[in-house]
Amino acid sequence: MCMKLTDIQNILGTSKILTCFSGRFSQGLIEEMGEAVKKHMECEEMPKNAIFNVFSIFIEQTQNIKNYTATKEGSPNYNTIAGNSIVCIGNTENNYFIWSGNYIENSDIEPLRKKLELVSKANKDELKLLFREQMKKELEPGKNGAGIGLIDIARKASSPIEYSFEKVDDSFYFYEIKVIV
Amino acid sequence: MERLFIDQAKATPQIDFDMDTRILIIKGQSYPENAFKFYEPVFNWLDDFLTQIQDERQIRLELSLPYVNTSSSKCIMMLLEKFEEAKEQGRNILINWYYDKDNESELECAEEFKEFVDLEFNLIPC
Repeated sequence: MCMKLTDIQNILGTSKILTCFSGRFSQGLIEEMGEAVKKHMECEEMPKNAIFNVFSIFIEQTQNIKNYTATKEGSPNYNTIAGNSIVCIGNTENNYFIWSGNYIENSDIEPLRKKLELVSKANKDELKLLFREQMKKELEPGKNGAGIGLIDIARKASSPIEYSFEKVDDSFYFYEIKVIV
Repeated sequence: MERLFIDQAKATPQIDFDMDTRILIIKGQSYPENAFKFYEPVFNWLDDFLTQIQDERQIRLELSLPYVNTSSSKCIMMLLEKFEEAKEQGRNILINWYYDKDNESELECAEEFKEFVDLEFNLIPC
């Protein structure tokens, strides 16, 4: 079956999605999309801190995916993981949302799930403490990120982050996270 | 020691560290692909600089960071820790952090850094 472009337009419209990218993320793409969303929100005369929060969460989510992909470089799964990333930014009447997903190896789910449970249940004061702890911690050698992204996302979100893991096949799950600002 | 200058790019700030004036400037958004790699020459320069300085003439760090991602925040934190250590050894250090007065999130971020370290730390609206 061949989908028409208007079908895609309808799906984006009913899902309230402003912009979406599906495929392989690069730093250049993240920068361009981030700056474009910032400009769009400035034109809509959104308050500066709303723009700041949407931009921050977008950067953390996409760089998390990019960093995860980078850890798989050289592995036979690399191309599958790198090629199956998606991010959408949308707005409903009252809120913006950043919704992203990527392939993840089965064996990587547990530590991520634990972290997600922790940050999605913590209140703002607890998140502040977690953030502080992580900032003071010595860096793990060889890591691209500082392990603070999800904590920062949860702090800037206006409601608890939503996430899920859906089985793709024996090797992969599709991990998605939706953050409302 | 040579002055350290790195031009500003879309995802990296301008770095301008001047040994003679002792004014060290970091200015611009910071969310590079690999923050630790970007800040490595900055850390190295600072380590050399702080070893050479033995007197009490003021060293001023001027920060203007409209947006920092979390791994850059970690690098800024590591930078401030180096200054904290230098202060304990008797160096005279002042931090000026400039923020957009219309953006409360930027102020909150700056306040948090101020709480993290024991340094003379001004928050300056602009």
